[in-house]
Amino acid sequence: MKKKLAWLFIASPMVFGSQILPTYAESPTDEDKKFEAYREAMADFNPGDFWIEDGEKLFHEQRGPKNVSLEQCDLGLGPGVVKGAYAQLPRYFKDTNRVETLEGRLLGCMVNLQGFDEEKITKPYYQSLAEEDGTKSDLVELVAYVASQSNGEPYRVKLENAAEKQAYELGKYAFYHRMGAMDLACASCHATPGLVLRGVHLPVMTDPATAGKVMTAFPAYVIKDANVRTWFWRNERCLLAMRLPFLKVNSDLDVALHLFQVMEASKTDTPIAVPGIKPRA
Amino acid sequence: MKNNTLKVLSWAVLACAAPYSVPLFAAGNPAMAGTGDTTITEEQFLKAAKESFPWATPAEFDERVKNDVTLAICNKTNGQPNAAETDVILKFEQSRMEYPKDGKRYGDWKKGQEWAEGAHGGRIGFADADDPAHPNGANCYACHAIDLNFPAAGNMGPSLTNYGKLRGQSEPMIKYTYEKVFNAKALVPCSLMPRYGGKGHLLTAEQVADITAFLLDPASPVNLPPKAAAQ
Repeated sequence: MKKKLAWLFIASPMVFGSQILPTYAESPTDEDKKFEAYREAMADFNPGDFWIEDGEKLFHEQRGPKNVSLEQCDLGLGPGVVKGAYAQLPRYFKDTNRVETLEGRLLGCMVNLQGFDEEKITKPYYQSLAEEDGTKSDLVELVAYVASQSNGEPYRVKLENAAEKQAYELGKYAFYHRMGAMDLACASCHATPGLVLRGVHLPVMTDPATAGKVMTAFPAYVIKDANVRTWFWRNERCLLAMRLPFLKVNSDLDVALHLFQVMEASKTDTPIAVPGIKPRA
Repeated sequence: MKNNTLKVLSWAVLACAAPYSVPLFAAGNPAMAGTGDTTITEEQFLKAAKESFPWATPAEFDERVKNDVTLAICNKTNGQPNAAETDVILKFEQSRMEYPKDGKRYGDWKKGQEWAEGAHGGRIGFADADDPAHPNGANCYACHAIDLNFPAAGNMGPSLTNYGKLRGQSEPMIKYTYEKVFNAKALVPCSLMPRYGGKGHLLTAEQVADITAFLLDPASPVNLPPKAAAQ
């Protein structure tokens, strides 16, 4: 049985992949419908589940130079509480005096509680996209696990204090700010309905329904990369396409852009359902 | 009386036409919007950006993250510069216009096809990002439909299918096309289209001349009927 499933996993991108690759002649709706069928076929076997299983083990394992688990990591609901944590992040944390994402908060716990070297986790070391595609990161596994513990709940991120409001405003500023060698802003592609980029239908992240649909699927298993991708990664890849430098996890712009977008998602009741499945993300 | 009726009529026509006269490329569209209504200053943004891009060299930061005169105005005005600001941008961008050394703005359309299709180049952090042996592409199909035989296209810019067939290959058309590809902002101040030529951008003057030929040449697939679909 297990072997059969593995074959489905390997073969399905080939079988379905040829049908889901978009062409300009096809409307995004047709493409969406085809991928929807694929997504249903994959519902009982999402390779992203491996990331969640491994992330759960990592969370409870004693690791790092200090040899402790992450069970004392406070994700906003008290030490070690993972249920519902993702649905209320990013938020302000008093101990770090920062607004932090789930990924950033877990990174902080790996550094501060477990004693890992931050730069070894965050600094891009790879020389090609293929090398990065083939890398399974501990941090992403942890994010996938903790995020999955909010499955079924909608995002309910709030702006409750000055730091959160400031981060949101910075996110809005950055989202509409044209920059980079391509003279683009996030808004150039993601604030107008109906835009298509090289055959890819672009989500409108200023539309709550779309933001809700897209963000509740992240972290998502991305078939093209055969890897699980977080919302940080999604934003970073857009910035790299704008020919901007590598973004740092939990940096001011990472947090601000994430917060600006998740506030739109928080206006909806779309439940978090991770790992989502994406053709290319 | 008659004058007044005419006035009212013309206003009514304008008012009715207005919603249709604001397509993707006009001001007031979110795709064109700059930073707009906010409490954040550019200084605060740059401070945050500095912290957020710690692996950028100072040169990369200055060239890629900091706004030049043009983008600073476009951001500040939500893509709607006033007359004086428009003047500043057009003068600055026209001063940056360059032409191939041999003076030919009409290159090799076959090479132009390659540059138009390519999406390589200019990305930080990849080993082959700026390999001189591997010239940059312009990724034209990200935003435009051009040669319909190419399997993908975007719709953020207008369709360029039959570009040369519709416009001919006159000297002014060659000059216009070359300059539009080299630096769209020398013609339209806050154009959504990236500037492709000049320091910090992706293409050489010769490549822009090749793309100009690709768009205009009667033998280029841009100006021929698409081949029958493989199916």
